[in-house]
Amino acid sequence: MARSRLQAVARNLGCYVLLSPTFILLAVFCFVPFVWAFTTSFYDYEIGGESAFVGLANYGEYLQDPTFWASFWNLLFLTVFSVVVGVVLPFGVAKLIFSLSSERARYVYRIIFLVPIVVPGVAVLMIWGGLVYGDNGLVNEVLRLAGLEGMTYGWLSDPNTVLWAVAFIGFPFASGINILIYYAGLAGIPESVHEAAELDGASGLRKFFAIDVPLVLSQVKLLVILTVIGVVQGFQGMFILTRGGPGFRSMVPGLWMYFNAFSFQRMGYACAIGVVLFLIILVLTVLNLRYFKSSEDVQAAA
Amino acid sequence: MRKRHDIVIHAVLVGIVLLTMVPFVFVINNSLRTNAEIYHSFFGLPGSVESMVRFTWYRLAGQEDRIALRRAEPDGPAKGETRAADLPVEPVGYAEAMGRLWDDLTRGYRYAWKVLRSYMVNTLLVCVATALGVVAIGSISGYVFSRYRFPGSRALFVAVLSLMMIPGVLTLVPSFLLVKQLGLLNSYGVLILPYVAGGQVFAIFLFKGFFDGLPEELFESARLDGASHFALYWHIVLPLSKQVIAVVGVMTILGTWNNFLWPFITNADAAYHVVASGLYLMGQSPAAANLATMFAAYVLSSVPLLVLFVYATQPFMRGVTSGAFKA
Amino acid sequence: MVKVKHIVLVTILAVGAWALWPPQAGDDSSIRLGARRPHSEAGAARRKHHIRMAPGLYLPGTMPGNVGKPLTGLLDVAEKFEALYPDTYIEFVGTPAVREWLVTQLSAGLAPDILNVNVEDVWQDVHKGWYVALDEYLDRPSPFVKAGEPGSKQWWDVFKYEAITRGKAAPDGKSYCISYDMVETGIFYNKDIFEKLGLGPPKDWVEFLDIQARLRDAGYVPLLVPLWGVSDWGVDLVFDQLYYPILEGIDLVKDPVREPYLQGYLDWDEICFLYGKGFFTRRDPRWVELWRILKDWRRFWNKDLSTADMMRLFVTQKGAMFWSASWTVQQLARDPDIPFRWGVFYPPPIPASFSPYADGHDMCVIGGSAMQFVVTNTAISDTGDAATSDRLKRVMAFLQFLTLPENADRVVNEVLSMLPNVKGVEPHPELRPFDEFLKRPYTTTKWSYTFDMRFNEVLIRMMDLYLNGGIGDEEYLAWTERNLAFAVQTTARRKKVDFDALQRTWDALAPARRTMKGLPDGAK
Repeated sequence: MARSRLQAVARNLGCYVLLSPTFILLAVFCFVPFVWAFTTSFYDYEIGGESAFVGLANYGEYLQDPTFWASFWNLLFLTVFSVVVGVVLPFGVAKLIFSLSSERARYVYRIIFLVPIVVPGVAVLMIWGGLVYGDNGLVNEVLRLAGLEGMTYGWLSDPNTVLWAVAFIGFPFASGINILIYYAGLAGIPESVHEAAELDGASGLRKFFAIDVPLVLSQVKLLVILTVIGVVQGFQGMFILTRGGPGFRSMVPGLWMYFNAFSFQRMGYACAIGVVLFLIILVLTVLNLRYFKSSEDVQAAA
Repeated sequence: MRKRHDIVIHAVLVGIVLLTMVPFVFVINNSLRTNAEIYHSFFGLPGSVESMVRFTWYRLAGQEDRIALRRAEPDGPAKGETRAADLPVEPVGYAEAMGRLWDDLTRGYRYAWKVLRSYMVNTLLVCVATALGVVAIGSISGYVFSRYRFPGSRALFVAVLSLMMIPGVLTLVPSFLLVKQLGLLNSYGVLILPYVAGGQVFAIFLFKGFFDGLPEELFESARLDGASHFALYWHIVLPLSKQVIAVVGVMTILGTWNNFLWPFITNADAAYHVVASGLYLMGQSPAAANLATMFAAYVLSSVPLLVLFVYATQPFMRGVTSGAFKA
Repeated sequence: MVKVKHIVLVTILAVGAWALWPPQAGDDSSIRLGARRPHSEAGAARRKHHIRMAPGLYLPGTMPGNVGKPLTGLLDVAEKFEALYPDTYIEFVGTPAVREWLVTQLSAGLAPDILNVNVEDVWQDVHKGWYVALDEYLDRPSPFVKAGEPGSKQWWDVFKYEAITRGKAAPDGKSYCISYDMVETGIFYNKDIFEKLGLGPPKDWVEFLDIQARLRDAGYVPLLVPLWGVSDWGVDLVFDQLYYPILEGIDLVKDPVREPYLQGYLDWDEICFLYGKGFFTRRDPRWVELWRILKDWRRFWNKDLSTADMMRLFVTQKGAMFWSASWTVQQLARDPDIPFRWGVFYPPPIPASFSPYADGHDMCVIGGSAMQFVVTNTAISDTGDAATSDRLKRVMAFLQFLTLPENADRVVNEVLSMLPNVKGVEPHPELRPFDEFLKRPYTTTKWSYTFDMRFNEVLIRMMDLYLNGGIGDEEYLAWTERNLAFAVQTTARRKKVDFDALQRTWDALAPARRTMKGLPDGAK
């Protein structure tokens, strides 16, 4: 038995060789850091200094960290907000585009909504931070023009508005490939389903909620999980714009991890934070896979 | 009825598009103004354009003596009273006036380009190399996983996919320590290799999904003709995968173009910065107060992607619509 | 079949290639946040030592204040130097202001050889071997100086502002930086607005607050000040006003090297110890008073402390005063559209009538060294040892060359921002007021530079929240205490503070403290 196994391997050596670049790269750049993240988190390691084994002390310290509750609360807010606007709004727009009668108009709109992604993310953040939210920026200047001087704020420096301001970057949230993905989903609904619904007397909004939404669920599921993963680990916006905001009002765990690693030089502690985030993502992904029905299931059930 | 229905939808969509464009319109407008102008008022068209139009009108109306500009800054270091506001406005010739106004108009872009030029070269290099690497490795591995049965193929594939689950935030710090140990800091290698390593997973997933859908007959007939494995891959599989390649290529380039944090922390030398980290550096440097330059930099940094967009959208959209994205 | 699309694509590629082509030799138009000098580029490859310097404000090719012409001073000086030392090539680079970047590069040995960084940041990492101490060069003559000129006996002598320069020595007694120039803060004010309201520069704090109230009633933002300015200058100035009267009783370490110049500066070890005695906590009345004064002052500042563009508000006359530093002069003098006259004054002292813990002595100097050039471990990377490194010799030679009067004049005075720290080089006339400010006594401590970055991060964030009304007095004081406790703990462990020695000095100073008021309980 073993010999035929070995022979099978030898015969297929070519396959393994072809796959080796993939696995070498993955081993070095994905697997090794992954393992190191866990091991380093058990040490108190200062870059350029000594490192001492401390077991779970880093995790314990994180639970007591002054930023702990603030950052996770912010994370929750941002996640919910991003899922709602990043998943719901593009769907609405996709549906609107889809229900246009002219094929050419549909094509043109899809392209137009894709154009804003050519601006690099960093530029978008800096544009919103400087041009839109600045003290003499778009929002405030418009308010002043309208005579509402009193309503001008330091949007990114006032503790009450900073989180909302960061969340609203990208308004009206209608650019990117989310729309395309939804459009593809809508286009994939067979015509027969629509006709059957119409025969049953459903129309307009009812048809929308009964047919379109459930059958696009697999796209929704994908986008929800991608959005959540993106938000939980993302901190680029905070880093560039507020660096955690007044106090810790816009602090997120990822940013605190970055500071601890590269500014305070506490590598072990930073890795512990990273591990905590990873566990959260893992749990959310598993939940998503289990409890969200995909559209195949819905179609099968129908 | 249909027509009216359409008009309402058009109105809503156009409204959304306009809202999205608003910040960018201001960016482009302000990139053409001088710094002092932007300081003094937020709204307003570029003064240089206004002056150019006005002076041309004077010339056409025969009133060339009315063309006047403030005296220019003295060259070189100056001591003593150098208040620019005290310099007089004096008449200049039409050609010289237009030249100086054109200078003012494009100053933001010229200075921004001086800084961005080398970043742009780096970014193009890195993006193209990464995209090539990802497509090459992704398609080969996807092909092998899809069309060949060998011991452990399923297990290995699951292993590859599971690594897609590792969030970047977890591996950021250890990856930095790793590349530091490998001595890769401050080089193109550190910018390309980790991206290829990460991006290939998604590519493998997409390619395998696509190849799985190819009918067996295609390969049968070619094998009967005695084609080698490589010929199968090169002549049959690749030409058919244009859409998937477009999707993978575009997404890789987009991702690499936008990645800012990694190039920022792994590169000391300005020689290796990419556009994303370069823009952030500009924003942190004294150059940041030069608003015209910053806005021009944002515009310039979008141009290459715009070019890519014009040529790659069609295959990209077809690839997405074909249902490549499903959970 | 050649389609329009293809023609357009080829055109785009051609234009792109032209735009991306590196500039030719002789065309000095490439700025990589640092310009490589093209006419030396051909010879650069043949030179043995490639030295990289991050000169901060003087980076060639940039335009400080974004007015005027791109800088070229350092390029000229480097060229002269390279003519003297054909085996060396000097490249100027820009660095981000972010400390994270600095840490990653230094730990990898990749930072530029000469770096501009606040030397107090250096003090924190001195035990990691990232920096080279400069004392042996400073104690010896500078080789470029002729006999009889300042610097011919000791390099120290070329520096104009001796106290501040020498005072930059680290607590371990060694000097790690060359202070190339001086900066000082000042409150810029709009003379036209002041005249209109019949105001003039204030003589003391009470008058200062009164002026601000009148400005506010007239509809202006009285004082424009950024948050990072307040957390650095504001805190230290008021701290000095309140703690200077009791300095005699709490100055525990009198370092012979720095003391003559710093007059009682409190370092981290002293602060760690004093914290243990109740200072800088809720039980310390002067500490509580410090924050009360700042909070009280806040009502006259701009509403938005972080993202507001203060310069723009001042220039458009929405704000009447602007607390900035001498670098602002460059932009104010060269902006062609400024319609008003402006002047500068220094914050006035806090009199005893305003606070029981102040005594009205002049506000201390809060500026000081601007460009502080430190030498990193990259400079000894050829042999790994400072004693044998050839590269280090070149690096030090360049620094000594830079401090020649004609070179300092060329570099520092090309910009209208800093005051040269070299004897025989006069600053721009517009900067003379700052020269006067620099003659004041040195500050008692610099909170932002005492502890590690974590302390600063938490402090500035909490201050932001506090000043914007996000948390109350009690809560804020509790935060600062916790923050300080953590920092003290970490510092005591990392730097091995000798509490016993400090305790002995503390006991010796007890008689001095007996007559003092405003001390925390149990601190007498």
